[in-house]
Amino acid sequence: MTIFTVAFKYLRGRLVASTLTAVSVALGVSLVVASVLLARGIKEGFIAGATDYNLVVGAKGSPTQLVLSVVFRMDLATPNIEYTIYQDLEQDPRVEIAVPVGIGDAYQGFRYVATNGAYFAPFSWRRKTFSLSSGRFFADGPPNDATYEAVLGAKAADSTGLRIGDRFYEGEEMAEYPLTVVGILQPTHSADDRAIFFSLSSYWGMNEVARKMTVKPLTAVLVRPKRMSDLPSLHRELNVAAETQAVLPSGVLLTIFNMMAVAEDVLTMILAIVGVIVLLYVFVSMYSATLERRREIATMRALGARRTTVLGIVLAESCALAAAGGVAGILGGHAVAYLAGSLLARSGLVANPFLFNVLEPAVLGSVILLGTLAGLLPAILAYRTEVAENLAPLS
Amino acid sequence: MSPRSAVSVRDVKKSFPLNDGTSLEVLDVEQLTLPAGTCTVLRGRSGSGKTTLLNLIAGVTVPSAGTVRVGDTNVFALSEARRDRFRAEQVGYVFQTFNLLSAFSALENVIVAMMFAGAVPKPLQRQRATDLLARLGLSERLGHKPQQLSRGEQQRVAIARALANSPPLILADEPCASLDVRTASEVLAMFLAVCRQDEKTLLLVSHDEAALEGADRIFDMTELNRAEAGRGAA
Repeated sequence: MTIFTVAFKYLRGRLVASTLTAVSVALGVSLVVASVLLARGIKEGFIAGATDYNLVVGAKGSPTQLVLSVVFRMDLATPNIEYTIYQDLEQDPRVEIAVPVGIGDAYQGFRYVATNGAYFAPFSWRRKTFSLSSGRFFADGPPNDATYEAVLGAKAADSTGLRIGDRFYEGEEMAEYPLTVVGILQPTHSADDRAIFFSLSSYWGMNEVARKMTVKPLTAVLVRPKRMSDLPSLHRELNVAAETQAVLPSGVLLTIFNMMAVAEDVLTMILAIVGVIVLLYVFVSMYSATLERRREIATMRALGARRTTVLGIVLAESCALAAAGGVAGILGGHAVAYLAGSLLARSGLVANPFLFNVLEPAVLGSVILLGTLAGLLPAILAYRTEVAENLAPLS
Repeated sequence: MSPRSAVSVRDVKKSFPLNDGTSLEVLDVEQLTLPAGTCTVLRGRSGSGKTTLLNLIAGVTVPSAGTVRVGDTNVFALSEARRDRFRAEQVGYVFQTFNLLSAFSALENVIVAMMFAGAVPKPLQRQRATDLLARLGLSERLGHKPQQLSRGEQQRVAIARALANSPPLILADEPCASLDVRTASEVLAMFLAVCRQDEKTLLLVSHDEAALEGADRIFDMTELNRAEAGRGAA
């Protein structure tokens, strides 16, 4: 028998109180871990999902809305621009590649994205690569020859259960223009996993208004200049134009992160308060437990236990409570982050809740240290217990 | 001190401070010697200093003056930590209200005393505790918690715990006061028998007739404690 087994037996002896204390620690730690994981996961999701293109060109309006809708599929689509803007950019000698994007409705919550083959092309400068897990890419037909072929993002295919050859449509009014699945993409860990891609001709063919338009509509154009030195002039010209705005996605990302930083500061304060409350709970639990068993502590001392031994027993108890709560809290925090991440994913945000790294040992170490410190005063109370005074026969 | 003296108390005083700045002297013992292997009974009215004297001999309470020797050791010449260790190895203490540790089984209550002393090697502790409890008729109660034991059984566990480290000196503070008459006489007889067999020096606070009959020597606190005698005279 050691002081650790003595401490364990005392914890087991007051099982309900010990469990409640450990659960309170676990809840506090879960909250901290889940919050940190989600905040980090959301940031990394934004970074991972960011486009490789330098400019997003769309209709005048909110730059944030344009990037959120076109790149992250998180906001309502901005008003349309004319297809000719894409054609002009494609012909512009300063532009290496321009990719047209049309954001449409959705099937079971998975956004329709109309584009051409360039969207998936493996350019040497691209971080993101697209490859098919099955099937082929949709055929890029001329504007009036829609094929209605669709390629599904990995998550969209998984959630809808659609397979190669399946035909689908959203709403009875679209029954006339069903899409046929011809390919399924490998996961890219970005918003593209939740998209349903098809050609611009299909996009225009499915829309009654667009069918009649001579100048076809688009939501945006993704642009990469040949030289970075051309970026400012392109940016300026497209913003000066009456119909368009050109947005630097990195700038919008910075704006989003700045907004998140404010929320993170508030969250940090709330988490600090939660931490203090949990520590107080551990302290009160250990203090009342020590007060309750002063007689037993005096007995142990009379049997020859040193003051440092009873101090060690109480510290070992609070340490064990903190460790148990800490481990459960880390696991619980990951579970909460996973569930919250799944909910966020429905709104188009991709967060990875399985990021185990330096956070976990740091949190566990801090929880054990602080939990043990919370038991320090009760331990000192045990240390200072007067033996003769507390051994007096009970009346 | 004679070589056969297990305990020697000389000119020991204990007083407690009062709120009005004065102090109350509760114990003033000129001399008390317990020969090794004997059974000595202390008796006296409540508040006559019996428990205080036991606590002084155990090194739990520090005297205001005087010396307490257990064996060859001047108890209060030791540092507190060494006194704790000394108490664990040399003194067994049996309390009136048993004072068993509630979260521990009968067996564990005995083992925990060995853990504090460290005198019995760990691999042997469980077997020794089992043997002691068996000797006191508790073979069937090893895994029971104190609240699952009768009061007589609890006190027998407390006796086993006091014997766990084979201390030469056993102090017992009215060990049967909270037991019914029949149980008290059974437990006391067993306790005295074990102490005799093992040649322990036993200092027992008791008013029980059986204890008085089995004692080698009997001291009355009104005679032993000059502070008590003074109060009685006043």
